[in-house]
Amino acid sequence: MLKNETAISSMTNKTVSDVRKNAGHSVWKKIKPYAFVAPALSIFLIFSIYPAFRIIDLSLYQWNLVSPAKDFVGFQNYVNLFHDPEFFETLRNTILYTVLTVGLSLSLSLFLAIYLKNDTRVNRFLQRLIFSPYIVSLASISFLWLWLMNSDVGFLNYIISLFGIGKVDWLGNPHVALFSLVLISVWKTAGYNTLIVLASLQVIPKHLYEAAALDHANQWRTFRKITLPMISPTLFFITIVDIISSFKVFETIQIMTDGGPQNATNTLVFAIYEYGFKFYKIGYASSIGVVLLVIISIFTILYFRGLASKVHYQ
Amino acid sequence: MLFSMIFHKAGRCVMNTLLALIFFFPFYWMVITSFKTLGDTVLFPPELIPSTIQWQSYIDAFKAIPFLHFLGNSLIVTFSILILQMFTIIPAAYAFARYEFKGSRFLFGIAMVAMMIPVQLTFLPLFILFSQLGLINSYASLILPFASSAFGIFMLRQAFKQVPQELVEAARMDHASEWRIICKVFLPLARPVLVTLALLTFISTWNDYFWPLVLTTSDAVRTLPVGIASLRNVESGMYYNTLMAGNVMLILPIMLVFLYAQKQIIKAFTYMGDK
Amino acid sequence: MSEIVFFHAKKAYDSKKTVIEDLNLVIPDGSFTVLVGPSGCGKSTTLRMIAGLESLSDGELVMDGRRMNEVAPEDRDIAMVFQNFALYPTMTVRENIEFGLVNKKIPREERQKLIADVVETVRLAEYLDKNPGELSGGQRQRVALARAMVKKPKVFLMDEPLSNLDARLRNEMRTELIELHKRLQTTFVYVTHDQTEAMSMATDIVLMSNGVIRQKDAPIKIYNDPNNIFAAQFIGTPAMNMFDIREWPQHNSIPEQARYMGFRPSRVHLAQEATASMDKMDFQGRILTHEFFGSEIIYRVETDNGILSFKTFHKDELPLDMEVQVYVEKRDCYFFDDKQNRVRCS
Repeated sequence: MLKNETAISSMTNKTVSDVRKNAGHSVWKKIKPYAFVAPALSIFLIFSIYPAFRIIDLSLYQWNLVSPAKDFVGFQNYVNLFHDPEFFETLRNTILYTVLTVGLSLSLSLFLAIYLKNDTRVNRFLQRLIFSPYIVSLASISFLWLWLMNSDVGFLNYIISLFGIGKVDWLGNPHVALFSLVLISVWKTAGYNTLIVLASLQVIPKHLYEAAALDHANQWRTFRKITLPMISPTLFFITIVDIISSFKVFETIQIMTDGGPQNATNTLVFAIYEYGFKFYKIGYASSIGVVLLVIISIFTILYFRGLASKVHYQ
Repeated sequence: MLFSMIFHKAGRCVMNTLLALIFFFPFYWMVITSFKTLGDTVLFPPELIPSTIQWQSYIDAFKAIPFLHFLGNSLIVTFSILILQMFTIIPAAYAFARYEFKGSRFLFGIAMVAMMIPVQLTFLPLFILFSQLGLINSYASLILPFASSAFGIFMLRQAFKQVPQELVEAARMDHASEWRIICKVFLPLARPVLVTLALLTFISTWNDYFWPLVLTTSDAVRTLPVGIASLRNVESGMYYNTLMAGNVMLILPIMLVFLYAQKQIIKAFTYMGDK
Repeated sequence: MSEIVFFHAKKAYDSKKTVIEDLNLVIPDGSFTVLVGPSGCGKSTTLRMIAGLESLSDGELVMDGRRMNEVAPEDRDIAMVFQNFALYPTMTVRENIEFGLVNKKIPREERQKLIADVVETVRLAEYLDKNPGELSGGQRQRVALARAMVKKPKVFLMDEPLSNLDARLRNEMRTELIELHKRLQTTFVYVTHDQTEAMSMATDIVLMSNGVIRQKDAPIKIYNDPNNIFAAQFIGTPAMNMFDIREWPQHNSIPEQARYMGFRPSRVHLAQEATASMDKMDFQGRILTHEFFGSEIIYRVETDNGILSFKTFHKDELPLDMEVQVYVEKRDCYFFDDKQNRVRCS
């Protein structure tokens, strides 16, 4: 094969410099994909990957953010953490909040999805209505419910007074505060979950229901044996996604209860925030962050495992 | 059985009204409160329909906080992020979709991992980083961390992959440079995805309270949600009508976008649900 | 002289999969050359090598006296019509056609003129401002053609352009393409798996299978004088009757090396029509099936030597299970050796 420049150029009517330009051109061709992904990947590396590692690193020190000196203390922060009753309370609050939010939201959305399944104008309107809290900012929702839950003149207390119940201090009563937050969270996310379940309901082939009807299956049977298995992958994924976001709860607490009353609504992220920016205990805050990181990682792995093997309950 | 009762027509009427009340009433109450006088807000039992309507709360909200300043910051941050995202997402998605290069799987994996790392974890180390760089209370600290989106790359890559190879070959033979092919063939075909991404980004950035709160120590670059929050801290107790007025103004843009593009938005968010 | 020549061309993917071993082909200037063969025979690969969309693993491609191996597709002075038309869905018909011209920075007036000429030929004038999505299959086909024509290339390449059209449209477009070729007098290289298309349109047929050229000839020559069993049976409908004659009784005029004998169904006649002086072979059997095609009927007959089909233009339909006697004249028989190559009688 003739590979030399002049021979090629004479046969293809290109100049020698064209042929050379082609060679430089092919260097660019090799780098091009990397150049294209570099901007995005730099952002990810700097603003997502690096901080994840940094927080693990920071948890091994004791530092108050202002002084230049950092003391390496190894796992001491973790030791302190796991001996701290307040931390366990925080953890318990977060887990309780998550379980309640996800449980209630999921059940409600399952019910509403079936209720709103038929494509009528009323249903379509209702679907959009229950979805609307989801796109409003969590901050706005918090301000709104702060007002609704006002213990003296809030509307919620007015409603329950109509049923003869006395005023409840929704946000000030340590036994109630966490549940108030759960209520708000369910109100915000129910519509979103409903629409997702609805979408997966609508792809179930009609003929499965027709066959079941011919087989004399009653409503409950049909639901259990046909509907539920077909939507279980979706339910699985919503559950994981909701669990992960519930663990990250912060805005409602910071705006409405400030972690109180008496630590009743202190959650993991709020604790990181307080220890970091209020008490200036960076190392301790980071160790809580690592705990959160581990929890989220576990659920994330579950999520990807689920993606790989489409879950179907038998 | 309770089920069949609910699904019966009359039962449905009741249920529908209940649903409408639960999900609509709070918004109604918010708007009504914003038009009430302070005296009326503390009435108990509260007035369902206000006896007097006033716009004063809105004016107060405007004056109590530097409203336009916060609004401006929201606009700057939101649109900067939108633009930067387009510049980082489009080339990356194109490269992942149409090129075969060593390490592409690994690099794409990094993007996916980054997608799962939440801001609630990164805020502390990034605050430290930004303060070491002297960038606290700068727009950069609010914009740069969101200058790209792994989810966006994922979605756009899917869309680009679906462009038929024949179309690209025909364009090549039509003397189109690669850049021209991207602009004239790939981007127009991916328009729905691009619109979806823009909507999602706009909504989540506009609504974001967490990041502008924790990454700033002054009001210099704070965005509207954080701004409205300071309406809470009025010395002589909370003026709920003012707070609600601020809230209405905060929600209004999003509600307008939602009314205009309902179907698109719902599609956008529910796709995320089973990605 | 836009003649296309392949010298010892080879195409392999990885080291294991060699699609084309050693291709030597001359496509004459101004011809309508059809590359035809079953799926996977390498015809599309060959076309794409001419286009430059596939590179040659070895060997040379020369067009118009120039070596083309390294030349980019857009620099080859060719135009291509794709199987799925590959029209830009977000552009109007006009924009589709002029896309190539715009990219070459041809000024507006010149573009208008070029488009106007082409659009008249393909009759698309009313559709210029529509989107491809609003057009029918046939119209899209013509847009694809127009886009190719407006470049005034030296060679038109077409990759099964009619296979996505319905039967009637396909017939119409066939004649349009033949007329187009006559008018433009440019080299057409056309790929299809349909032998009727090949036979009706080509000036030269290149019959391929498994990456190898089995015969290259004018259509009538391939039909009347096939070089091997593959060519004999691929071209012509219904396929040529083919029998293994090793066990058959000896006949003096059958060549020595002949192992197979074939003859076209249209050359089979009912015994009544024979004359005494014919040198013929007789067959007898029972009618299995008949297919009525309007002007002709095709029968399949079960004989002791195997199943035989014959085609007649007789209007009376013979009933099933009827015993018939048929014959074929010796001069209409083709003989093939055990390598399936043609043995020609002297």
